[in-house]
Order: sequence, then C-alpha cells, then structure tokens
Amino acid sequence: MEIEEYIPHQKYSETEKQDIFNNEFMPHIHSMYNFGYRLTLDRDDAKDLVQDTYLKAYRFIESFQKGTNAKAWLFRILKNSFINDYRKKSKEPSKVDYQEVETYYNSEEVDRQITPDLRVESLKDMIGDEISNALNSLDVDFRTVIILCDLEGFKYEEMAKILDIPIGTVRSRLHRARNLLKEKLKSYAKSMGYNNA
Amino acid sequence: MATSQNPFVQADGKKPTCMEMLQVILDGEATVEQKDYFKTHMDHCMPCYKEYNVDMAIKELLQAKCCGGNCPEGLVEQIRSKINSTTA
Ligand SMILES: [Zn+2]
Repeated sequence: MEIEEYIPHQKYSETEKQDIFNNEFMPHIHSMYNFGYRLTLDRDDAKDLVQDTYLKAYRFIESFQKGTNAKAWLFRILKNSFINDYRKKSKEPSKVDYQEVETYYNSEEVDRQITPDLRVESLKDMIGDEISNALNSLDVDFRTVIILCDLEGFKYEEMAKILDIPIGTVRSRLHRARNLLKEKLKSYAKSMGYNNA
Repeated sequence: MATSQNPFVQADGKKPTCMEMLQVILDGEATVEQKDYFKTHMDHCMPCYKEYNVDMAIKELLQAKCCGGNCPEGLVEQIRSKINSTTA
C-alpha cells in the first residue's frame, strides 16, 4: 500500500465518519463489486476484495477529503488491494510490453489501421455472454482500462491516479485494449457465421 | 477545413490522425468543439464513420452486458457489522 494516500489530512468526528461512509462511500458498492469481479473473475474473491476495500477505506477515512472524488479514491484502494493480495496468488503474469505499445501507437502507421472489419450488425446479434467473455479474456491490465473508461466513465486523469501510470500510458493502453477486444469480437462474429464480419 | 481550425491540434501544432481524433471521442475526453468537428469530419471520411459506429456499438454492448447489476445480498450488512465491531 502506498503510504502517501493514507496520511490523515483531517480529523473527523464519529458522526462525520459515519456520514462520509454512508453517503460518499456506500453508494459506489455495486460499481466496486463489478470492478472486483472483473478483476478477479470470481464472485467470492470479489466479495472479499470489496469488503477489504471498504474496511481499509473506513480505517483511513481521515486521509480522504470530504467532497472530493470518493469513487476514484475507492477504486484506487481496490486496485491496490487486488495487486497486493490477489494478483500475487493468481497465475496470471503481467505480460504486456508497454514500451512496444507506446511506440506502436505513436508511429505513423496508425491511420492505416482504420479498416473496419467488424460490423454493427454482427454486434447486434451478440445478445449472450460474448462481450462479457471477450472482456474477461483480456489481460487484466487491458481489461481494467476498458472497465474504468467504458463502464465507469472515468477520465484519463482519474484513471492515471487510480492506476499509478502516466496519462500517455492510459491512452495507449486503452487504444490497445480496444483493438484486442475488437479482435475477440471479430472471432466470435466469425464463429456465428458472419464470414464478412 | 484549415488545420488551425481543427480543435484536435495539439500545442505543438501536430496534425492529429483520424485514429487519434476517434480515440479522444471514444475515451470521453472530447470537448464540445472537438465533438462538433468530428461529426463534420465523419460526413466525408467513411473509415471514421464506420469505425465510430462499430466502436460505439461495442461501448453500448459493454454497458448493457458487463455492468453486473447489484453486489451480493448481505455484503453491505457484513461490512457494516465488521466496522461496528472494530469501532466498538
Ligand atoms: Zn477520418
């Protein structure tokens, strides 16, 4: 756990603590659970992860400034707990070469990449678990940025803080994640019989 | 349209690629001016138009299928009782 974010910035009375916890933290519990589930891919682990996060949030509540972005603060704690407590246990290594990603993104080649090869019609037929399976199949770092951006609507700056990475990396990771997701969906579309998907 | 009017142009004056503009839009980082500019741009750039529609459809699919609903029953109570037992 990073120490800086847990340094108390203010003193809260018991009533204030309860008030912050109930009105600023608890409303995010469903998003937090979904985030936990998408990271661990296990409902019980997600439950534990969310509980740990809320207990930590309460313990360090005085390092949270009332009225600031509680959701981003909570997501950051959850992400750190996941890395520290769960990722170590899992078999999944981080196998992403970000250096390469960055160069790839900045090259002049990118325009040529705009070759739509997945069609809206084939996406419309994905009414089952295709999209969820495609998302879950991505490397956890790629999965994370899609969740934060497309499901939770976080901005680059917030994502950079939650993930402890520079904004440029957020951008390139998102770009790469979208392409990987599209590749997955394309193969589903093919298997569903869209040869021209 | 002149480059100087393109609201996607960075401080260094570098002209953005279609892919870069599209990403700003998709990532939810576009200003009102950028959104308007891109809308007009799509009228005469077929690849952007097609890609935009596919990407937005994916985004909608994600939001419809991957938000997971509510957390398990009892979790909120469980958290509250743990907190109460530590503060008591
Ligand atoms: Zn274009």
